Amino acid sequence: MTEIPSLQVLLQLTVNGILGGAMYGVAAVGLSLIFGTMRLIFLAQGAMIILAAYFVRALFQGLGIDPFLSLPIVITVGAGVGWLIYQGLFRRAAAMEDRNVSLLIAVGLMFLVQNLMTVIWGGNTAGVVTSYTASGIGAFGIRMSFTRSIGFLIAIAGTALVMLFLKKTLVGKAVRAASEDMTSAALLGISPHRVNAIAFSIGLALAGAAGVAVATTFPFNPFAGFVFSLKALVALAIGGIGNVAGALAGGIILGLIEAYVQYFISGGWTNAFGYGVFLLVLMLKPEGLFSRPYKKA
Amino acid sequence: MSSKAGALIAAALVLALALLPFVPGAIDHYYFSLLFFVFIYAIMAQGWNLVAGYAGQISLGQHAFFALGAYTTAILWTGNYLWGSLYETHPRIYYFDPVTMVLSGLVAAVAAALIGLPLLSKLRGDYFALGTLGFGEIVRVLLINGGDFTGGAFGLVAPSGTFDTLLPHYWTGLGLTVALAIGIHLLIKSRYGLALIAVRDDEMAASSNGVNVLRTKVLAFAGGAFIAGICGSLYTYYIFHVGPDSVLNLDWMLLPLMMTVVGGTGTVLGPIIGAFVMYVIFDFARIWVPDYHPIIAGLAIILAMLFLPNGLSRLKLGILKPYSR
Amino acid sequence: MANRLLEVSNLSVAYGDVRALWGVSIHVDQGTIVAIVGANGAGKSTLLRAISGIVRAQEGEIKLSDNSLVGRPPEDIARLGIAHVPEGRGLFRHMTVLENLELGAFQPKARPRLREGIDKAYALFPRLKERAHQKAGSLSGGEQQMLAIARAVMSDPALLILDEPSLGLSPLVVRQMFTLIQTLHSQGVTILLVEQNIHQALKVADYGFVLKTGEVAMQGTGRDLLANPEIQKAYMGVLE
Repeated sequence: MTEIPSLQVLLQLTVNGILGGAMYGVAAVGLSLIFGTMRLIFLAQGAMIILAAYFVRALFQGLGIDPFLSLPIVITVGAGVGWLIYQGLFRRAAAMEDRNVSLLIAVGLMFLVQNLMTVIWGGNTAGVVTSYTASGIGAFGIRMSFTRSIGFLIAIAGTALVMLFLKKTLVGKAVRAASEDMTSAALLGISPHRVNAIAFSIGLALAGAAGVAVATTFPFNPFAGFVFSLKALVALAIGGIGNVAGALAGGIILGLIEAYVQYFISGGWTNAFGYGVFLLVLMLKPEGLFSRPYKKA
Repeated sequence: MSSKAGALIAAALVLALALLPFVPGAIDHYYFSLLFFVFIYAIMAQGWNLVAGYAGQISLGQHAFFALGAYTTAILWTGNYLWGSLYETHPRIYYFDPVTMVLSGLVAAVAAALIGLPLLSKLRGDYFALGTLGFGEIVRVLLINGGDFTGGAFGLVAPSGTFDTLLPHYWTGLGLTVALAIGIHLLIKSRYGLALIAVRDDEMAASSNGVNVLRTKVLAFAGGAFIAGICGSLYTYYIFHVGPDSVLNLDWMLLPLMMTVVGGTGTVLGPIIGAFVMYVIFDFARIWVPDYHPIIAGLAIILAMLFLPNGLSRLKLGILKPYSR
Repeated sequence: MANRLLEVSNLSVAYGDVRALWGVSIHVDQGTIVAIVGANGAGKSTLLRAISGIVRAQEGEIKLSDNSLVGRPPEDIARLGIAHVPEGRGLFRHMTVLENLELGAFQPKARPRLREGIDKAYALFPRLKERAHQKAGSLSGGEQQMLAIARAVMSDPALLILDEPSLGLSPLVVRQMFTLIQTLHSQGVTILLVEQNIHQALKVADYGFVLKTGEVAMQGTGRDLLANPEIQKAYMGVLE
């Protein structure tokens, strides 16, 4: 702490922060979409990411499918599961005034998925080790892990695709419209249930993508998901709820904070700083760092 | 059922529960400790109910106040801070020491007021919920990094040799549960209670009728924290070991919340009924299907929400309201 | 008898324990402008919200041509041909003017005509074309109201419902608004209009209903109602 770190160390920390933070970001993008249309904090998102990671591991160990090549399968299954979860669990609650009902269903789902994973795969830490897990790319004395770099690219590509969908397609615009004002959207013939189901599908497809990234980079266990949900929420708050690019940026900012605090202060305090920034942003700029609020008419 | 008959039945039930320990063999029975846990959860649920059900603010930080209360009791106890050498000479003086318990509640309440003032003046709805969730995680980091004062990641251990019977825990738990139910019932009828419900239903209207909205909300939030803190204190007298993983476990937030909703949010009896029904379900699941019992917990929450969204104490089907914000 | 488009009979609506409408019956004929007028809190907006499915009717029947609307969700009712511009306009303020217009043609049957509809809207409101890529929230009050109406007619609705279109607009813009309503009418759009600006509303309306504390107090042609001394005394005394 006393010595001034070299430029190389600073760059390495920055790279680590960005690569790690992108994972929080992609989880936050999914949360953002679901929160947008349903006003639901989908606390089970982290558990679903870990579930996807176990699924990736099963495909790898059982069928020998390379984790990165399993991406299309995991994303497709994730989207399907998202649709089913909405239709089966949230459809009825979504129409109720009391949003706590949806929140609690999400809590129940989190419990269920966590413990289902424990029953099936045991509570121990698992991971996916391939021939390239340890390899990395180096330049100017900075090292980037290969799997983390691919995970980062997945996060960027996933976010970009979601943004294209929201900006360029009529259905995507309907999702944005519904996020802003569900009643007005319904008056134009946009079905709330359809929009919610789409948000859930995309949210869980992203959970699948994040699951691939997690499986290849981190050791994980059935209960790691909740912390992931919390960090995604922090990223979401930093970026501004309902702002997709902001959610990714929020994740990266959180990753950077964690990397710097861990190096300059202590590993034990990283979470306090992350959540401290979270509270500060909530209080000083609740609309997030990257959103400009409109004045009320 | 008229309210008079209901009150009589409730009084008879409380009396029966209070006298239960005198039934031969009852104290050693497994169900006796089960009832103690039902009381613990009913108290926690009532604390959340005050904040969410009556003040309308969804707090996801009740476990932090529970932990603050538990740690306060453990610190005062293990450090011999309050009664000095009396702890040595009279090992029972600390036990269910009302001063320690109230102090534990107060520490939680002061923390809630300090965090609640900025949060509640700035944040509404989900943002407030997220803020309290973040607060809980900050408390976790502080407790883990508290050095010898908080015992770090391991926590603090009180001298367990002093434990010989669950009887005082049981009576204290029952007494607190009943006192809280009566207290909240009276509170809701009072001027402050009217203000509370006015704020929950329509902040703007309440404010234009002269209700100090922020003060009302902060008081309720601190009150809910006080209840959680006292409950943490009581739990410490039972568990002896407080640590970040035990008393700051998210279950202390999620389970009472779920029990309240199952029983009926915003009703006096809802949290108690919910705590009883859900705890019994969990416990039986733990005995009968030990490997799967947390799955049962998850399923129970989902099923309760799907089919009983208004809670057991107001058994009626959920009124589907059209989309509106 | 003219062709009945909308028939509301004996409609009652309550919010919780508070009743807002008591057995209200109104009707709208094809190709006409019908105005619903009355004081604040008379239940005008509630009536519109019940027709488009935002609030649920306790009793009574609502029929659009031969379809019963009671119990249907708003998105179904919109697809059956009702375009409701709610009080406060219901624009997506963070989305662009063009995006708002496109969403007006979200319904499957309107989608093929999306381009054509936007061209029509631009022809009717040149200002919207100038501001196509601005956020709807950045428009002036009058422009927002025009966008809301333009968006609503994108779906070529059988019935256009306007809730207080003149609210919060300057007198000059209010006059433009009523001119626009007449233009739409001349193009064959059937319009159900709720207004506090009773004089203007009854002037353009073929038929009118006066709501008073949740009940229909009076009805008649716009001209008859305008000439009615009781209405002049109760609602327009100060204005005229």
